[in-house]
Amino acid sequence: MSMFDYDARPVTPLPVIVGTAASRGAYAIRDFLSRNGYPFEWVDAGQPEAVRAVLGVAEVEPSALPLCILPDGTRLASATVEQVAAGLGMVAAPSLPEYDLIIVGAGPAGLGAAVNAASEGLRTVVIEAVAPGGQAGTTSMIENLLGFPDGISGSELATRAVVQARRFGAELLLARPLAGVSADGPGYVAELSDGTLVHGRAVLFASGVEWRRLEVPGIDDLLGAGVYYGAGPSEALACTGSRVAVVGGGNSAGQAVVRFARYARQVTLLVRGSDLGASMSQYLIDQLSGIPNVDVRVGTQVVGLEADDRLRAFVVLSGDGAESVRLPADALFICIGGTPRTDGAAGIGLATNTAGYLVTGGDPDGRWPLPREPLPLETNVPGVFAAGDVRCGSVKRCAAAIGEGSMAVALIHRRLAEVGGD
Amino acid sequence: MTEPPAVANPEVAVASEFAELASGEQIATAAAALERNGIRPLLAATGADARGLVRSLLPGGAEVYNNTSQTLEAIGVADDIERSGRYQPLRLRLYRMDREMQRREMRTLAASPNYVVGSVHALTEGGSLLIASASGSQLGPLVSGAGQVILVIGAQKIVRDVEAGMRRIYEYCYPLEDARARQAYGVPSGVNNILIINKVMTPGRVTAVIVNERLGF
Repeated sequence: MSMFDYDARPVTPLPVIVGTAASRGAYAIRDFLSRNGYPFEWVDAGQPEAVRAVLGVAEVEPSALPLCILPDGTRLASATVEQVAAGLGMVAAPSLPEYDLIIVGAGPAGLGAAVNAASEGLRTVVIEAVAPGGQAGTTSMIENLLGFPDGISGSELATRAVVQARRFGAELLLARPLAGVSADGPGYVAELSDGTLVHGRAVLFASGVEWRRLEVPGIDDLLGAGVYYGAGPSEALACTGSRVAVVGGGNSAGQAVVRFARYARQVTLLVRGSDLGASMSQYLIDQLSGIPNVDVRVGTQVVGLEADDRLRAFVVLSGDGAESVRLPADALFICIGGTPRTDGAAGIGLATNTAGYLVTGGDPDGRWPLPREPLPLETNVPGVFAAGDVRCGSVKRCAAAIGEGSMAVALIHRRLAEVGGD
Repeated sequence: MTEPPAVANPEVAVASEFAELASGEQIATAAAALERNGIRPLLAATGADARGLVRSLLPGGAEVYNNTSQTLEAIGVADDIERSGRYQPLRLRLYRMDREMQRREMRTLAASPNYVVGSVHALTEGGSLLIASASGSQLGPLVSGAGQVILVIGAQKIVRDVEAGMRRIYEYCYPLEDARARQAYGVPSGVNNILIINKVMTPGRVTAVIVNERLGF
């Protein structure tokens, strides 16, 4: 045991999640709590002694799974992420009737904007569907961010940013996605999935991207049962001694491989393109080449999956299509590309490019209503801005997203002055 | 120097002289000595009062590490720190970090919390504090790593002098802690490190809340 086994463990009761390893619902809860930094205990419902230790009986009715036991003893049968979040007090109402700035998304761009806006006195609220950090929040180690010579994990970066934003007075509304935005006088009103309304004088979309779906037959049935989108921190330890594959050629995929290689017996990186250097930073390529239990396969794509109650193997096709190869695997992590998260943006007519990214600084459809031109980072709707990965033309790097979030605040000041009261 | 017993026996400890509350006179003597030694003494009649005092000493939003302590758990301070949402509890932040990838970050965070709240194993009438630790990781912050230190001390921990304090650690605290560690972690404890604070050079950095109740061991 290390010192951290004694000293980095909460001394008060943790929530307990009882479920099956192959359960998509249980994985969703584990992933949600992990990404929010909320410690919990996981009990595999297939382990009678472990179940008896927490419930007093060896078996749980399958319909009650996943079962969550809150620290106060409350039991949530067939628990959902929303119920667990509410039960743990993670769901808060907005404290103000109106904000100067509503930020959609708490990734690097959103948190960068929140810190800058709140520090400059803007009444700031951040809406986040899942957890602070965005895609970067699940990254095991970011080594090229200015000021962190030894690197910093995505989760720690997010934790620090949240503390910083809150210290300046920004609010975070977690665990509820944005349902829609509509005009509200010169400002806007955002509606969350639970019906909560948030009024703001300006809106910044910093909602980032989702992992792109992998088109392989049967893959949706295995989500949480060996197939995962992103490299969720809750699964790294569970991969100890197992065979893991990561799909993707970007830095997120590379960082996931570096992390899993510490735990797994074998890690295979599957890259569709033929040149890893086209999408991954050189420092990561160098790291991967020095890890003995990592196998990098370029020019490769997944074409089939084998499973019983969970993933057991997958089939890949090499670039020339000559031969398919079956590779046994316990887990497949998909970290490819991105689909812009613009849920809730459609109602106010934000212009996008053909891939769905929000267009800023221009008027592509001729609907701009003001005499002035749109500001840089301003969408085609006055007072609605975009920054970070969700923005058309953005650089998909953490430092760039933080910079865009900060830059957006300077532009938002100009907009607020225009509508008065700034 | 007292040596640890070969086999820890918690049953022996339960009936020990070291479980008895100090007198009012002893408490006053120890408190006055603490003040002379640069440690701010505060007196609490009950655990509930002590909990309120600790709350008043911790500003909202503060980064706080709560040392492993039966005292803090008994009076609800551990719960306040880890669960109330008023503070940034470092234990929860450390717990979620990746032991393989983030070891350096963990060491850095654990070594220098803004606030550390804990207890001691003995307080002498001369105003010295004795703290034993198996891992030793909690001792550095008490001496210099933490910005502010708050120690909650049940009055049964007051002893005459350092020699008696050492006996208290070996004969009373160690057997009970060993039993707790075996149950909680599945491993034995050990008197592997002992910190003695005789004097604090930064006035106001360390606060000792003496509670007129038997708390922890």
